[in-house]
Amino acid sequence: MTTAVIQAVLLALSMAALYAAVAAGLTLTVGVTRIINFAHGEFVMLGAFLTYWLYTRFGLSPWFGMAASGVALAILSAAVYRGFLARVLKQDEHNQLLATLGLSILILNLAIIAWSPDPRVMQAPPLLPTLNLGGVTVPGNNIAVALVGLILFVAMYAIRNYTRYGTQMRFASDDPTLAAHAGINVDRVFELSFVIGGAAAGVSGGLVALVLYVQPTIGVDLVIRAFAIIALGGLGNIPGALIGSAILALTEGLTSTFVPQGGSWGFGIAFVILLLVLVVRPSGLFGKQAHP
Amino acid sequence: MNRSLLTRLGLYAAIAAPSMLLVATDQPFLIQVAIGTLISAILALAWDILSRTGQVSLGHAAFFGIGGYGSALLTPVLGPVLGWAAGILLCGLVAVLLGAVTLRLRRLYFTIATLSFSLSIQVLILVTPGLTGGSTGIMPPVIAGGSPPLQLLFVTGCLVVAAGVSDVFLGRRFRPAFFMIRNNPELAAASGVPVTRLKILAFAVSGMVAGLAGSCYCGLYGYVIPDDVFTTNWNVLPLAVTVLGGMDTTLGPIVGAVVLRLLEELARQAVGGVGYQVVYGAVIILFIVGLPEGLAGLGRVVLRRFRPPGEGTRIKARLAS
Repeated sequence: MTTAVIQAVLLALSMAALYAAVAAGLTLTVGVTRIINFAHGEFVMLGAFLTYWLYTRFGLSPWFGMAASGVALAILSAAVYRGFLARVLKQDEHNQLLATLGLSILILNLAIIAWSPDPRVMQAPPLLPTLNLGGVTVPGNNIAVALVGLILFVAMYAIRNYTRYGTQMRFASDDPTLAAHAGINVDRVFELSFVIGGAAAGVSGGLVALVLYVQPTIGVDLVIRAFAIIALGGLGNIPGALIGSAILALTEGLTSTFVPQGGSWGFGIAFVILLLVLVVRPSGLFGKQAHP
Repeated sequence: MNRSLLTRLGLYAAIAAPSMLLVATDQPFLIQVAIGTLISAILALAWDILSRTGQVSLGHAAFFGIGGYGSALLTPVLGPVLGWAAGILLCGLVAVLLGAVTLRLRRLYFTIATLSFSLSIQVLILVTPGLTGGSTGIMPPVIAGGSPPLQLLFVTGCLVVAAGVSDVFLGRRFRPAFFMIRNNPELAAASGVPVTRLKILAFAVSGMVAGLAGSCYCGLYGYVIPDDVFTTNWNVLPLAVTVLGGMDTTLGPIVGAVVLRLLEELARQAVGGVGYQVVYGAVIILFIVGLPEGLAGLGRVVLRRFRPPGEGTRIKARLAS
């Protein structure tokens, strides 16, 4: 029994790392630009497909696939930002919301037409050896996911807190007008945060291909969870998102393992928890209260 | 006052006229399309009423579904009239509760919370198969004996009711307070606007109108599964329809619903399959870039160009000279 519990907790924690990887880029972008980017999920999906194709068609290692996806999605993000998102940033909140929803619908359905809605499994050999701890086993791919997820998280945190661009990002998000007066190119800072978020989405897409299935609709499932996570932790708060992922993945994982038929609705519990948290703390667990 | 009432009655007649025409021509396909369009127009009006207080919801599928399920499950117990009334009141009640919970949430938090709420409600339906049929769905009583022309007339009646409700909240009594709450809630509160009460009132009314749309939808074919009504599509559609048509108007969401459905059907004919979804996404993006204020915004620009200078411009001109 205890082994089963530990096993379930470890698997849930590796899911937490995956969610954290998806949420890491999103919370950076949302924290800076204040845009709910629904297309982030589709960026993750594209990263998953790219990693999958690179492995199945060309036999390239998923490590390479992740890096390539990061670069590809960074380029796509820059194109999307310059193409139309920069203009939308100046519009009302509902227009921004609908714009990214429209982009998400567009990419999702193009992917369905191009690659069919069927799920695929990559079946790559494990990237790391399986860990065996007194009867409890953790597959190597899950360890790889946890590792890369954490690296991604630390990278986002470091970019935001310890680089010159990070300082500009925080300034620009607090007060874009003042930041512009102080000589910061706000538009460029926003674009940069969007591109970094896109790169993180691409890399986390590679992680999705490793431990989940590869399917056009996978992005929608993930992005909704990522939104719950970043709201739980406080929008723009990177360590908060890490704790949010752990809360979400643990409730979801443990419900689906230990409640009969909980697999199909475990995530619902997580959303109820989010609503309860927001009642007590309207800006999430670690968010600055009274956001603008 | 009298004149504006007349204008409004004329508007409602104009909304209802195409439906009458369709019923008279007896085109089964067009009637089905019209029913679907009008239901999304009702849902969009519901969304717009809430958004006038600055609350941008992405969870209206919850009310759509609760209304549909509520009236479907209560009609066999209470009869059609009371059953629908009870189902729609249930929506109002749930909306008041959600409104109270999300009252302090700002912007993105509000939107994420409403989205989470709609997902939670879907789960609630799935885990209570004894009461709600779970994933196998329910068989609601059909409206108007299942005759599409009569159903269209009924749904048209519902749309006119929804338009009337929307106009009440665009009228002298609520409009200034609502928009003040949206633009500056602190100032509104300081000026004596009962912010909390009005935000929750908007939520309740919006929830009930969305519930009306859901009740209509569930009563069309006599068979509904949770995936029909609680999908994200019903969360996104009212936002898309309203922004495309034009916010803060009664006509905007209705025109938006018609235009979006028209484009959708054209795309379905042209590309078929899921191709029309691609067009849907592309249309949304093009509209936001090209017509950020929707068709109503375009209409305002056109009217301004063709109308002789009114009182406002004349005063402005005098001030400028």
